[in-house]
Amino acid sequence: MIILRSLFYILIFPGALFTACFGLFLTGVDRKVVARMQHRIGPPLRQPMYDFFKLLGKETIIPHAANKIAFLGAPIIGFVSLALIMLFIPVGGLTAFSGNADMIVILYLITIPGVALIVGGSSSGSPYAGIGISREMVTMMAYELPFVLVLLAVARKAGGSELAFSMEKVAEWQAANGNMLFQWSMIPAAIAMLLVVPAEVGTQPFDVAEAETEICEGPLIEYSGSALGMFKLNTAMKMFVMSGLFVSLFLGGIRTGFAVCDVIVFILLCIVVTIICMSTTHAVTARLKIEHLFKFYWTFVAGMALCSLILVWCGL
Amino acid sequence: MIQHFPVLAVMLLFLGAFCVEIFGSNNAGIRNTIAMLAATIALVLIYALIKPVMIDGEIISSWMGNWAPVSGYAIGIGYEVDALSLFFALLVVTTFWLSGVYSMSYMAKDHHLGHYYTLYLMLSGSVLGLVMTGDVFNMFVMVEIMTFASVALTAFRNENEGTLEAGFKYLVIGSMGSSFTLTGIALIYGQCHTLNMAQISAQLCTGMTPTTIMAFALIVAGFGVKSYIVPFHTPAADAYMVAPTSVSMIFSGMVNKAGVYGMIRVLYIIFRAMDKSSVQMLVVIFGAVTMFIGVTMALAQHDFKRLLAFHSISQIGYVITAIGLGSALGITGGLFHAMNHTLFKGLLFLTAGAVLYATGTTNLDKLGGLSKKMPKTCICFLIGAFSISGLPPFNGFVSKWLVYQATYTKAVESGNFVYAIVTVVALIVSVMTLASFIKVTQAVFFGQLPAELKKTQEAPASMLVPMYIMSALCVLCGIFYPIVNKYLLHPATEATLNVTNYIDRMMGDGYAAMMGAQNIEVAPVQFSYWNPIVWLILFVVIFIAAFIVITGSKSSRGQILNPGVKYDPKYATFFSGEEELFSQVGGSDLFWGFKTDWKGYYKVLEGLHSGIVTDYAGWTVMATAIITICMFIFMR
Amino acid sequence: MIIVNYIASIILIVLGLYAVCTKKNLIKVVLGLGIVDYGVNMLIVSLGFNDGGTAPIYQMSDLLNGVAPHFFVDPVPQALTLTSIVIGACVDAMALSLVIMIYRKYKSINADDVRRLHG
Repeated sequence: MIILRSLFYILIFPGALFTACFGLFLTGVDRKVVARMQHRIGPPLRQPMYDFFKLLGKETIIPHAANKIAFLGAPIIGFVSLALIMLFIPVGGLTAFSGNADMIVILYLITIPGVALIVGGSSSGSPYAGIGISREMVTMMAYELPFVLVLLAVARKAGGSELAFSMEKVAEWQAANGNMLFQWSMIPAAIAMLLVVPAEVGTQPFDVAEAETEICEGPLIEYSGSALGMFKLNTAMKMFVMSGLFVSLFLGGIRTGFAVCDVIVFILLCIVVTIICMSTTHAVTARLKIEHLFKFYWTFVAGMALCSLILVWCGL
Repeated sequence: MIQHFPVLAVMLLFLGAFCVEIFGSNNAGIRNTIAMLAATIALVLIYALIKPVMIDGEIISSWMGNWAPVSGYAIGIGYEVDALSLFFALLVVTTFWLSGVYSMSYMAKDHHLGHYYTLYLMLSGSVLGLVMTGDVFNMFVMVEIMTFASVALTAFRNENEGTLEAGFKYLVIGSMGSSFTLTGIALIYGQCHTLNMAQISAQLCTGMTPTTIMAFALIVAGFGVKSYIVPFHTPAADAYMVAPTSVSMIFSGMVNKAGVYGMIRVLYIIFRAMDKSSVQMLVVIFGAVTMFIGVTMALAQHDFKRLLAFHSISQIGYVITAIGLGSALGITGGLFHAMNHTLFKGLLFLTAGAVLYATGTTNLDKLGGLSKKMPKTCICFLIGAFSISGLPPFNGFVSKWLVYQATYTKAVESGNFVYAIVTVVALIVSVMTLASFIKVTQAVFFGQLPAELKKTQEAPASMLVPMYIMSALCVLCGIFYPIVNKYLLHPATEATLNVTNYIDRMMGDGYAAMMGAQNIEVAPVQFSYWNPIVWLILFVVIFIAAFIVITGSKSSRGQILNPGVKYDPKYATFFSGEEELFSQVGGSDLFWGFKTDWKGYYKVLEGLHSGIVTDYAGWTVMATAIITICMFIFMR
Repeated sequence: MIIVNYIASIILIVLGLYAVCTKKNLIKVVLGLGIVDYGVNMLIVSLGFNDGGTAPIYQMSDLLNGVAPHFFVDPVPQALTLTSIVIGACVDAMALSLVIMIYRKYKSINADDVRRLHG
């Protein structure tokens, strides 16, 4: 019985299928909003889904310099870890698996899709991929510091003097005391998190790793067919996972009483977060260079998160 | 009978060392046989001690020459093996046995192999004696034998570039550390009139005089030199790089663990200084600085083995930080990380040795694309790299997790913000470690194969077997960590925190109570994550995803590149019209964006690592002075 | 407990450390290491001294006649010092042989020139 329930959680909701569908939907929303801001009409909302199924039907060409196992295995590992992360995030008050230290697990699992992209790019044997993976790794180093500081601040706020690293405890705290976003000492942390989300997902202005105009999509240059489709699906799922993480950390106190309504509210909040932090910045900014990106994250964003951490640690 | 096993193991190794030189200097067969026989018998003897010490909880002690204590005074040299000693002894025997198997074919092309095996056996015997002895001067003598054997082995291939200067620097700094240790031991003897660790520990229960504080500071500095924490780390970077790789593996796996063991003994058992929060803070700060400097220096290196050396220094920083916390969770995390470090760092050095053996170079700019020619080495390397970066399900993840848990629990309990900063630093260092190994993977195994390396072959079987064993251990320790905790870590942690058993066994029951020491109950450590059902279901998801990717569309494969054969350009790598040989991305320049941002920091650090032996000696003296001043302020 | 010995040994140790940290000629560095060792040895021997004691050797005549032994100095530090002197001799030998080979390879024994491994 428990195996069937776990299977349901992992495969259908909120695991692989739910994340994949709504991730692709969110990507579609993002593209549409950006297009409207740029005075275009833009593709239909279901375009990413069409793209994914189209790619499944194309031929996967494996270049002769590539290592076949790593080349084909990398997108699979990324997909699996993203499906797993969703299980720890409270979707409208329900968490599939919760333990004592979910946030650290989430922190670790979120590095795995980035590593999968890096290993995939590295194994393709192309010099463009080499440059792309170095930028991706530096981007990961850049956003890990503010991300860790934000998680520590939230854990300290929600748990008092015993740090609450469990997502369920954070959700309960917000249901009892109001949303985390409305505590004034957490506003710098919220700003920092809003800036970490686009870097994790890899949208402009922080997409220097997959710079289409400079290095021809970096790590993905030699990918085609279903492997490429899987990587694009990973990016879409990551968008949903990261905005879901933001919503559950900072806006998780909204309860209507019905489980289905809670899930719908969660999805709507994800869409709002995506529009604010990803689509708007995508439409109005240019791409940052890698050294600017690193300096930006380790000075401004980390500074905001550190402000919040110090305020929270002093008891405010 | 079983109480003689420790002494027998050590003596057999020394006897084997002499026999190799006498009988085997010309004959390879006799030499290899004697060396492996000595190593194997020592391995069996030490493994036979697991049941009585770890499972039944006894402490094995034997007095050499049967000079038992007379009227409460220890007059002989005693060997005492408790769970902490046996933990480290197991690591030591496993490492040197695997290194012996590896050097069968790795060193086969060198000259003077009689000297090599002699030195190797003496090094192994001395480290084994160090961890099992109960007498503080015997420990010093073993440290000296270890230093000599290490220096001679570092400078072994003296026709290569830089080996002699690395050996010289190692000798100068190591000898300074040993002199500090000897001064400390002399001062302790002057105060306590005994050389037995158990008796010293009992006598120091009554309080510390200025003499003993000075001795404490000097001995801690001496063992700090041996465990290569910053700023004593400078000879390590050079020595690991130039030594033959089977020896580098011993250095990173055994020799700096001997330093860590020495520090644990001194801090916890002899001086019992770890209940003062100021001493804890000092050790944790040293550990945090070591972690950070080690990993940032590693990101800038151009040589494979020097990069691995800096990572060794950084991981020992993790161990020292965890040990410095003073809690059971911290000690468990530190010991587990020490064990995992031996496994995965040994594995990484073995793969580096295989690459050096096959291609003749370890320069990251000249290597590339070796995953096609050396696939098994590549897999072992990836397992080691993922272990050290702390990705699940490997063993590095569990031990780093324990270290984070320990530091933030300490931060919460003590309310001190510094420990929260240490947790953040540890997490950042973990990400930088991952970055560094991505760089090495790209530079050595993936990436483009240069023309001169087209003829490389896979490493021979006797080099692959130790690699397989270590990879298997990495994966198993990561998955079955509760078993490791129950049988190895929990007894060792209890032994560290409970001094009374140690004293009673050596000096007779009731001695410790007479001196006023008390027993502490150590609760077993809780590991708090992951539902194991998730693991089982994981495979279902992987299969579905794999099904979509691999069979969902037809995939086609280009053939392996043969020189002179015209191949289908559909499978060529995209160079946008440029020639392939002008489009190589140098492996060591992979993180130039990061290095540009940290220009000032790197200029300072690389200026400080000047390579001049007097500068390094100056750092050592300054750090010892700082430790001494801090101890005088804290231990009053 | 003689103060002069202790002060002299500490001066020797400090002088030796000074030589190791500042002198550029590698042979002077090795000499400095040796001086540190001699200072430590003197410290150990001085620690065992008991005022008015004689050498720690039993006389056969005393043992046969049952006379109580004389007041000895402590024999253990003397044993420690012997071991330490031997170790010091080995360190010096190994260091000097390394210096000879460094001279053959690098053609100089100035510490500023022997620095091909740095950074």
